[in-house]
Amino acid sequence: MKKMLIVLTLVMALSGLVLAGTFAALTERIEINRERALQASLAALFAGADEPSFDQLDVADPTIYRGTDGAGDLLGYAVRVVASGYNGPISMLVGLTPELDEIVGLQVVENIETPGLGGRITEAGFRSQFAGLDPTRALRSVRNIEPDPSANQVQAISSATITTEAVVAGINQKTPDAIEAIRRAER
Amino acid sequence: MKSMSYEFTKGLVKNNPVFVQVLGMCPTLAVTTSVVNGLGMGMATSFVLVSAALIASIMKSLVPGEVRIPVYAVIIATFVTIADLVLRAFFPPLSVSLGPYVPLIVVNCIIMGRIEAFATRNGPLPSVVDALGMGAGFTLSLMVLGAVREIFGNGSIFGFDLFGPSFNPVLVMIMPAGAFLTLGVLMAIFNAVKESSKTVLISAEKPVEA
Repeated sequence: MKKMLIVLTLVMALSGLVLAGTFAALTERIEINRERALQASLAALFAGADEPSFDQLDVADPTIYRGTDGAGDLLGYAVRVVASGYNGPISMLVGLTPELDEIVGLQVVENIETPGLGGRITEAGFRSQFAGLDPTRALRSVRNIEPDPSANQVQAISSATITTEAVVAGINQKTPDAIEAIRRAER
Repeated sequence: MKSMSYEFTKGLVKNNPVFVQVLGMCPTLAVTTSVVNGLGMGMATSFVLVSAALIASIMKSLVPGEVRIPVYAVIIATFVTIADLVLRAFFPPLSVSLGPYVPLIVVNCIIMGRIEAFATRNGPLPSVVDALGMGAGFTLSLMVLGAVREIFGNGSIFGFDLFGPSFNPVLVMIMPAGAFLTLGVLMAIFNAVKESSKTVLISAEKPVEA
C-alpha cells in the first residue's frame, strides 16, 4: 500500500519534471512556427497582393490585422476569431475589404476538429463560400437546401453541423465588434 | 532465451503488428494517405514504444502489480507529449497533417501490449530490441499502406508526381474507404506469402521419404 503510493507519486513527479523541461526548451520554436503559420494565413487571405505586410491594430479585443501591399495601399483587414468547435478551439481569420462591406475570405489557422468531418472546414470548397458575404449582417448555416449567398447563407458540412455552426457563430459574434473597432481606430 | 535477432525480426513478419496482430488500427487506417504520413506516424510511435519499453523493463520490479497500468499509462503519455512537442517544434507541416493522431498514440494498444507481454517479463536489452522490431514492423507496414494509397489516390510517391497531369487519381483510395480496401488486400497478400513460405520451410525440414 505504502509502496504503491510512493511509486505512483514518484513516477508522476518525474514525468511532470521531464515534460516541464521539454516544454521550456521547445516553446520558443513552437511559437515561431505558430507566428509563421499566422503570417502565411494572412497572406493567403489577400492572395494576389504585391508584397503584403500586416500590422496589428491597437485594439484589445478582437485581434485585428491591417494589411497593406508593397506600395502602401490598404488591402483590407483580418479579424482573428476563435470559435469553440466540437473538439476544441478553432482559430480563424476573417478577411474584410477596406470598406468593411464584404468578406474577402476565411482562413482556418488552427483546429483539432475530427479529420474528414469537422476538419473539412480547412478545405477551399467550404471556405470559399464566405467570400462576398456581408459582414454587417449575421451569417447563417443551412442544411438540405441550396445556400443563398445574397441571404448570407453557407452550406453546412455533412455530419459536421456542430463545427459549421461554431464557425458561423464565432464569426457572427466577433465581426460586428471588429468593424466598430476598426472604424474607431482608423478615424 | 531466444536470440536478439529473433526478438527483432519477429516484429517484422511473424508477429507483424499491423498485418498479423491487427493492432493499432486507428492510426493505421487514418493517417496512411501518403508515405510521409505513414513514416512520421511510424517513427513517432516507435519512439514512444522503445522509450516506454526501456523504462518499463527497468522499473518492473519496483512497480507493484496493482498500479502497473496507471504507472505505464503515465510513462507512455509523457513520451507521447514529448514526441508531439518535438514534431510541433521541428516538423510543423508533418505535425499539422498527423493532427490529433499524435496525442492518440497514448491509447495505441501496440505499446501497452508490448509492455505487458514483453517488457515486464524481460531485461532492458531484449525489451528495447523487441520494441525496435515492433516499431520497425509498424512503420514499414504504414509506409507500404501509405505508398499504395498515395500512388493510386494522388498519382505520386513521397510527394513526387509519377504519371504527369493526364493521370486521373482514384480518389476513393485517399478516402477512409480506400484505407479499408488497401488494408484488406495487403493483409491477404501478406498472410498468403507468409503461409506459403511456412509450408516451404516445413517441407524442407522433413526428410524425403524414399
